[in-house]
Amino acid sequence: MNVVLWIIFLPIILFVIGTFMLGYSRKFIARIERRYGPPIQQVFYDIFKLMNKKTNISHGWMHDIAILMLLGGTLLTMYFVPVPGFHFFAQYGDMLVIMYILLIPALGMALGVGETANPNGSIGISRALMMLAGYDIPFVLTFIGFAMINHTTSMYDLMLAQQAGGIAGWGLISQPLLGIAALIALQGMLGEKPFEVMVAPHEIATGPMTEMGGKYLGIMMIQHAIGIVVELTIYINLFLGGAVNWFEYIVKLFVLFTMLLSVNAVFGRFRTDDAVRFMWKIPLPLAIIGILFIIF
Amino acid sequence: MSIVLNLLSIALAGVVLNVLFSKSKIVQKYVSLLIFAGLTYFSFVMYSQVGEHFDFPFQIAGQSIGFTITWLNYYFGIMITGITLLTVIFSLKYMEGKDGSTHYYTVLSLKTFGMLGVIFSSDLITFFVFWEIMSWSTFGLMSTGGKDAPKSAFKYFVFAITASMILMAGVVLSYSLFGSFDFAVIHDKIGSLSLPMTGFLLSIFIVSFSVESAVFPVHSWLPDGYSNTFTTFTAYLSGISTRIGIYGIILFLFGIFGIQTVDKLSIIGKINFRYVFGVFAALTMVVPTFTALYQHDAKKLIAWHSVGQGGYMLIGLASGSALGIAGGMFHVLNHMAYVVLIVFAIAAVEHRTGTTNLNKLGGLIKKMPVSYLALLFGIIGLAGLPPMNGFVSKWFIYRALILGGYPFLAIAAVIGTLGTILSVYKLIHNMFLGQLPERYNNVKEVGFSMQLPMWILMIVVLGLGIFPGAAMGLIAKIQVALGLTAVPYSLHGIQTASGQLNMLVVSAVFIGGIFVTWIIYLLGSRRKHVSQYNNYAAGNFLDKKVAYNFNYEFYAAMEHVIDPYRKKIIQRTEQGIAGLTDAVSEYIRRIYTGMINTYGIYVITAFIVTIIILKELI
Repeated sequence: MNVVLWIIFLPIILFVIGTFMLGYSRKFIARIERRYGPPIQQVFYDIFKLMNKKTNISHGWMHDIAILMLLGGTLLTMYFVPVPGFHFFAQYGDMLVIMYILLIPALGMALGVGETANPNGSIGISRALMMLAGYDIPFVLTFIGFAMINHTTSMYDLMLAQQAGGIAGWGLISQPLLGIAALIALQGMLGEKPFEVMVAPHEIATGPMTEMGGKYLGIMMIQHAIGIVVELTIYINLFLGGAVNWFEYIVKLFVLFTMLLSVNAVFGRFRTDDAVRFMWKIPLPLAIIGILFIIF
Repeated sequence: MSIVLNLLSIALAGVVLNVLFSKSKIVQKYVSLLIFAGLTYFSFVMYSQVGEHFDFPFQIAGQSIGFTITWLNYYFGIMITGITLLTVIFSLKYMEGKDGSTHYYTVLSLKTFGMLGVIFSSDLITFFVFWEIMSWSTFGLMSTGGKDAPKSAFKYFVFAITASMILMAGVVLSYSLFGSFDFAVIHDKIGSLSLPMTGFLLSIFIVSFSVESAVFPVHSWLPDGYSNTFTTFTAYLSGISTRIGIYGIILFLFGIFGIQTVDKLSIIGKINFRYVFGVFAALTMVVPTFTALYQHDAKKLIAWHSVGQGGYMLIGLASGSALGIAGGMFHVLNHMAYVVLIVFAIAAVEHRTGTTNLNKLGGLIKKMPVSYLALLFGIIGLAGLPPMNGFVSKWFIYRALILGGYPFLAIAAVIGTLGTILSVYKLIHNMFLGQLPERYNNVKEVGFSMQLPMWILMIVVLGLGIFPGAAMGLIAKIQVALGLTAVPYSLHGIQTASGQLNMLVVSAVFIGGIFVTWIIYLLGSRRKHVSQYNNYAAGNFLDKKVAYNFNYEFYAAMEHVIDPYRKKIIQRTEQGIAGLTDAVSEYIRRIYTGMINTYGIYVITAFIVTIIILKELI
């Protein structure tokens, strides 16, 4: 019964947290830029407005299915990532599964955007995939390091192993090189500046979102809200010892997100090849050195 | 009479009938269909005869030679016959009106005959003879279907001859060491051999099979050879032909030498024979996968991936754990299903548009939805994303490498997967998505006989992804037969002490997620489909004359990043090897001086040497 309640309410809870975090990010950036910024619940209004649009333009059946794959894939990832009090699905799939189901929404969106037949969209997808090759290699390498120390690939077990050691057991403290490499990779994973090559409004007219409007854009925003929480949760579970209760969890989410936002606020955008090169020149060697420390 | 003989004689009958009816293409088509349907039926019912042995009525060097049925060759047997049947069904329509179709079914039957002989043989002589038949018919397959085909087939020929000579040396060496050709006898006597000799003998066989399975430094024959021939042959060759090399490696590594013997071959510490083998497999995954990014031809792109995916199978085998070996063997089946599906989709597009050039196609999803779906299922499998079959076998391999303590081999596997995702998106985008060029406005979906194989393979790709246990049962039996530990599998995944994988739950949650999204989607007002010219163009006007598409140099930035590495490492290595071969050949060439006197001296010297050796012996 408990599990059924979690299955029903988890997406709603994470959606609310995610939209507040997005609202908070707009406010935070605005204050750094000495603007007033929109109210914190603005993202709710935006989604409500988009879902109520009268005209919904679609370019074909893959465009429609893509939007289902996008949010469906994100919900799938969400259930497999353990949050405080709910790790029912963690026993059916480990971190390797999570890493690859994380790519389903990206693939869905890529296919849908491809069908819209807009070159801005295709360029955005091409950039997103190149960025993926940039940040995913160091990120996965850090996870491999952790799995080797703890002899398990289950995210829940990795979380428990860290909690057993107190704050000194946190991944970021016990394996600082891996923690920092993954933090840089996380910035790329969330698509924050300086790795914001995929959206790049001034260059390619928001890339994948160019031909998205109405309920399509609305569902994309819902997905973005949930997706951002899920990605941050993966980092928290792997490197910040997870969380035992929801208070701790939300505090960790906001602290981590604020850190990434502060970097986002003061940076410009890398060119795509520079962004990929950066990922392969800084976080990747850090992760490799971290792994060598583990082996020897 | 043994069922193996039935199988081989049906395949041989296929060759003979195709030669007899070479005048009538219609008869050839339906005779081949009948032959391969029969072969598929017989290979499936072989299930009850596993363990049976058959000897030829004659002997060679006092040794009886013949065939045997084990779980391993049953597994490969059903793959060979099944995929050949699907290829023939697909070819019925595809080959209509093409040159060289008389030759087509004959070589296909001969190749199947050779492959079946190789996998069922129980001794080195039979193995070698059928191996030769197989190599020659591969040459036959590659040399048809295009103007560049004979040239690239010749490249294969040079590699294959070298590999065969090495294999021959291995056969002779084992006979002189063990006094027998029989696999079982060699397996029993292998323990008494000194370790350096065991390593040498194993290296000979592995190097020979590496050529056939296109392991990194000796892979260069494959991409050209596979992509210049008929597209259906590309499917057949990448799907199963290359994997006979993997069969050889499994047979020799685990069946004949045995994992205990192989593990004794240590170099320093953890660096043992398997690890060195694993490093080559890792290079095979990474280098060809990133070369595929550069390709502008759909067939060539997939041919490079078919090299790269071989690396996953080998690295799984090299990991040496039950999970990794199961992953490697399972990946052979999975790869066959999705790669053939992908190439069939490409062939369908080629059939309708006449090109496989990725810069000229686009937007075909509106005209050929079934082929698009086939390609989509195939690329999700190839990229190794759930819920398709490629994910399950790759999951086994990653997990085996991580928990076995091979982090750098594991990361090579991950790099390979990311490179794969990049290039398969380019493939599907440039063919089916984006703007539809005006000249393809009248293109239609392919007919039923071409759709049928695609639907079957789509079911296999998705079915094995959700219910991997359907194939794992057979693989567990093979593992037990080879003296390895079997993987604790269930119908929908695996279950070990340190965690489980349940693909059924993953797929069900995914479908649930899609369902919830669908309800949210229905909450909004109805969508309206618009034409591709009704599009954002920064205030400009779009019409039929405007090419508004992004497909040329799809990953220019990525190429910019990896070009220096490619130039530094790969090209210099290749140039080094080429230079070395040149220099050695130059010295060998000097033997042929062109003067009759020198040749006379050679003959006399050879005569004297022979006499001395003979005297020593007698």
